[in-house]
Amino acid sequence: MNKLDERKRSGGKGVSYAKWGYIFIAPFFIAYITCTFIPQLLTIYNSFFMNYRDGLTQVGPKFVGLANYVKLFSRDNTGNIGILKYFGNTMILWLMGAIPQIIVALLLAVIFTNYRLRIKGQSFFKAVIYMPNLIMASAFSMLFFTIFSNVGPINQLLQQAGFLDKPFDFFSKTISVRTLIAFMNFLMWFGNTTIVLMAGIMGIDQALFEAAEIDGANALNVFFRVTLPLLTPILVYVIITALIGGLQMFDVPQILTLGQGMPDRTSMTMVMYLNNFLTTSKNYGMAGAVSVVLFIISGLLSLVVYRTLSRQR
Amino acid sequence: MKKLLVNLLAVSMVFSLAACGGNDSKDKDPVDDTKQEEKETEKETEKETEKETEKETEKETEKETDAEVQNDEGSVFNIYAWNEEFKGFFEEYYEVPEGITVNWIITPSQDGAYQQKLDEALLNQETAADDDKVDLFLAEADYILKYTNSEYTQDVAPLGVTDFSTAYEYTVQAASDDNGVTKGVSFQCCPSALIYRRSIAQDVLGTDDPAEVQEKLDSWDKFEQVAGDAKDKGYLMTASFAETYRAFSNNVTSPWVDEENNLQFDQQILDWIDQTEEFIENDYTLTAGIWDDEKNNQMFEDGKTMCFFGPAWYYNFSMENAMDPEKGSYGDWAIIEGPQAHFWGGTWLLAPAGTDNPTMVADVMNTFINDEDVCSKLVSEQMQFSNNQVVNQKFGEDPEYGNEFLGGQNDTAVFVDLAKNIKFENQTIYDQLLNEGLQTAMQEYFRGSVDKDTALQNFYNYVNETYPAINTPS
Repeated sequence: MNKLDERKRSGGKGVSYAKWGYIFIAPFFIAYITCTFIPQLLTIYNSFFMNYRDGLTQVGPKFVGLANYVKLFSRDNTGNIGILKYFGNTMILWLMGAIPQIIVALLLAVIFTNYRLRIKGQSFFKAVIYMPNLIMASAFSMLFFTIFSNVGPINQLLQQAGFLDKPFDFFSKTISVRTLIAFMNFLMWFGNTTIVLMAGIMGIDQALFEAAEIDGANALNVFFRVTLPLLTPILVYVIITALIGGLQMFDVPQILTLGQGMPDRTSMTMVMYLNNFLTTSKNYGMAGAVSVVLFIISGLLSLVVYRTLSRQR
Repeated sequence: MKKLLVNLLAVSMVFSLAACGGNDSKDKDPVDDTKQEEKETEKETEKETEKETEKETEKETEKETDAEVQNDEGSVFNIYAWNEEFKGFFEEYYEVPEGITVNWIITPSQDGAYQQKLDEALLNQETAADDDKVDLFLAEADYILKYTNSEYTQDVAPLGVTDFSTAYEYTVQAASDDNGVTKGVSFQCCPSALIYRRSIAQDVLGTDDPAEVQEKLDSWDKFEQVAGDAKDKGYLMTASFAETYRAFSNNVTSPWVDEENNLQFDQQILDWIDQTEEFIENDYTLTAGIWDDEKNNQMFEDGKTMCFFGPAWYYNFSMENAMDPEKGSYGDWAIIEGPQAHFWGGTWLLAPAGTDNPTMVADVMNTFINDEDVCSKLVSEQMQFSNNQVVNQKFGEDPEYGNEFLGGQNDTAVFVDLAKNIKFENQTIYDQLLNEGLQTAMQEYFRGSVDKDTALQNFYNYVNETYPAINTPS
């Protein structure tokens, strides 16, 4: 509170609105500190302890320093470092879903907002493409699990049509499992992205498009030279949220692969790995260590994206 | 344009097909698919059953406020279970004392979900309100030790469960802690048999008579040889890579972990791996899991599989496809000892410490092991093999008694013989998830997606994540 404020108050003429500002944002900060910040610190703290349950017996907590991290980054008998493999899986699964998702969403957004096409029933289409997002991820995964199982309709169809002699085991090939997961994530999220991008495009001054056309620009030129540059801030926002969502990918692969990340754990994501430590043994030490690594990775990746954003500005 | 339309129609058809299939299994599941709970619908089932139980409880609680509570014990009786098998028997044969509401908390067992739920409840038992306390819980052979050897279960003798004279000894031993204090009872005895398809045996072996079939399948060597013959005639010997797993794993001579908590493979487990390698290589079996639809579909009339393995509960709960009135193969089955006598599963009722309904706990336990009327009905009406030797003996010796599903064979007589061999030993508290985890990891190897070393390493990784206390080879 500076002197000016004080003088105003003592004069009885001015009112301090700053106080109300702090009061109004206080709920967020209180919620953030109690529900996010303190748990985050506790996670880091826990990651230095041996703390799990063996049957019904509690083991620890006992301070072990960096032992959990050492375990996390040590090689197994086949020479793999588990956590790196699962991070790789997560990024591959995310990219496989996110790239088509953003391309398709961009395309749809441009088509829907094109003033010359003037597509009828827009709100209907918007509702339909958003629909998959409303289905629970677990229900969606169960559906796919059933459809693509060895005795499921896809295999039956392919066999009856004569394409296959034997059922194709979708869940025993890395590429098919990953494709299924990516496809489901794509289906669930492209509608959402489309709507965000449409809002972004509609925020661009219509006159710019008309001007470009009068200057003789074709549709491609308009897209790459007008729409895309002006849409960058929204696009970067979409990419960052998708990235954070992608790093936390869990429900779809967890249910589709029955929690095993089959085959050969190639569809096991970071959060599934974390979950493995928690479900049976309540291993807060190791799970904490995985969370901290995930936190650092998210921070670094966000920084990279943020840098790119500020450079373009 | 036409092509596009055709494709669209095809795709929509696929999805509608899937939708139909999904509905079917969902409808069936909560009612009587209980042993198959391991499969996909379980998550939904859990929710449904929980919701149902909640609703029921609400209703019953309302009703019950008028009724008088008989004694000073609790008015809500909470039972934790992983499927509806026991619930069915309980509701059919046990008369709940007036004024008591029974509340079922059912969580599927796969991936240890049931154990997690139960552990949370038991660890909070002391502070829980009387009506929320666990009053009775069910446990399987694979993890019963974890509970009997803990302070969370109590001696049932002071409660009034003292007569184990007609129960099978192994069931009492399994429910006892290291000092011999008995903490519960089992309502069934689970010798596991080889269940074969009569018509296929007739074709492959030239006979479907149990005694003659047994002679041709009484060792693993013969079993493997017959598998070859079956293949030549276009049949499968078994329908899952893990079909014979229990025959090996419940005959181990050393537990999964040694005194220093090092993971160890018993020779029986290694033998199973070797046998399954051969079976997969020669197409004697399928790579389906033991609870998968792909396997269960083999029980339909047009199925090509000769052998399944399981105790009495198995044909009741996992052979629903065989009992299907239209597509099934009812009556085309018979059971024999098979190559190696073993047991599989079994459900124990354990008394948790701190229950507020000790009288009813004891009453339920006594009913299901000592009430001859109830035990007889379990055998004659439910095709169970009860945990009452007198009752089983009676049915086994009754020339009139036969099981229609097994073409009139007296299965109880077979089980009475098999039950003599059961030894409950070399168990650990980790068995359920180690058995599940090994099968999952090896399935990938048998399907050809990884080599053997990788499969084993994946199993070790799984063990490290699931049980930090176990040391894996490195």
